[in-house]
Amino acid sequence: MTEAVDFNVARWLEAQQEAVLDAWMSDIVSRWKKNYLHVVDTEHLHLQSRQLLEEIRKLFVENPNEFWEPTPDSKIVVLIRSLSTQRAKQGFKPADSTFYVLSLKRVLWRRLLQDRIAENKVALATCLAMIENVIDRLTLLIYEVYVETRERLIAQQSLSLLELSTPVVRLWDRVLMVPLIGVMDTQRARQTTERLLEAIAKYEATVAILDVTGVPVLDTSVAGHIMKTIAAAQMLGARVVMTGISPDGAQTLVKLGVDFSVVTTRATLRAGVAESLLLVGKRIVAVKDAP
Amino acid sequence: MLESVRVSISEEIHSAEARRQALLLAQHLGFGRTDAYYLATAVTELATNLFRHAGGGEIQLRTLTRQNAVGIEVIAHDTGPGIANVEQALREGFSTSGGLGCGLPGVRRLMDELEICSEMGRGTRIRACKWAAIIQTVERQC
Ligand SMILES: Nc1ncnc2c1ncn2[C@@H]1O[C@H](COP(=O)(O)OP(=O)(O)OP(=O)(O)O)[C@@H](O)[C@H]1O
Ligand SMILES: [Mg+2]
Repeated sequence: MTEAVDFNVARWLEAQQEAVLDAWMSDIVSRWKKNYLHVVDTEHLHLQSRQLLEEIRKLFVENPNEFWEPTPDSKIVVLIRSLSTQRAKQGFKPADSTFYVLSLKRVLWRRLLQDRIAENKVALATCLAMIENVIDRLTLLIYEVYVETRERLIAQQSLSLLELSTPVVRLWDRVLMVPLIGVMDTQRARQTTERLLEAIAKYEATVAILDVTGVPVLDTSVAGHIMKTIAAAQMLGARVVMTGISPDGAQTLVKLGVDFSVVTTRATLRAGVAESLLLVGKRIVAVKDAP
Repeated sequence: MLESVRVSISEEIHSAEARRQALLLAQHLGFGRTDAYYLATAVTELATNLFRHAGGGEIQLRTLTRQNAVGIEVIAHDTGPGIANVEQALREGFSTSGGLGCGLPGVRRLMDELEICSEMGRGTRIRACKWAAIIQTVERQC
């Protein structure tokens, strides 16, 4: 009896290692086969998993009686972090990513129940609880890393979108054009204004076309941002010509009571370009003798 | 045909989601393009106010049917500081945050019905409706 209570999970795991690894890997492969095996290198997976199993064994050696608490720089945490980050980037669903350690739990439980130790209820319960504790911690960690990775991805994407969608184009000497595309929130509005002002100073521009064709709705906050941009541009000596207000947009602005009367507006970008060139004393003319 | 969508607003960008949902619903109900644009703008205004003046809240969109007309009900609800003086908030150019102060008066003109209930320290509930075929403008305050 006492001998069985002294049953050592770490030693048991060491003896079972190869068998556990085999059962675990075949479970994983059968679940991942359909969606992920083209992104997972099975050889690498084996190597990683063997390493993880070894780290779990060491945990049991180091914490034979008490429950393990993950510390951020422990080897096993680093290992789990790196492989779940990788999987989140590869497009694994969170359930499939956590399946990795849940499958290990299943394999370990099954083997323990078949073992001689299963006859001793106290020893068995202790072993199961220890395994469960470790796997639960790892599962939570995988979830956490998954969410972190996706959030970082989203943040990066919105940053790239921000850069993408606020170009300031030099149309002609002293004429700039800013096509506003997409949602104009405070951050984007501020960035657009900054870029426009920089460009006005750099090119000594006197006219800037602000094209709002790509803005989904012209509400008061967008209108407010545009007004501020215009006021700032004027302080640097540049006139702003606004183009691309749709008929619906124009009616809505009137309903909102936004006063754009101080702003030069043109219905189309074409008219805006003509107007802007005129303001710098240029004109587009047809070439004589052209076909 | 009772459809309901809720959009929770806690960031500025969430007003774009509320706008998209409003447009989808309007298209689904066969709203005209201009009416749909009015509705979308009003929803954006209410959502922006939730974020800017109440620290967040929720936009709820619902389909309304009345005899031969279909409409969309927008409810903007928050548990923010409340509006001290609703009449003043509806006045053109009134803003406590350096905005244009055109939002609420604009919503009143863009929508067919507007109802504002606000209690200081408890929050604000704004209900606005837009009918596909314009019915008389109704205004109420409570
Ligand atoms: N949900 C709300 N909770 C508390 N106060 C509000 C709320 N909505 C509006 N207000 C108050 O009513 C005022 C008027 O709102 P309105 O939308 O008309 O203008 P604004 O948001 O200040 O500027 P903008 O023209 O950009 O909309 C606000 O400045 C604010 O004080
Ligand atoms: Mg507002």
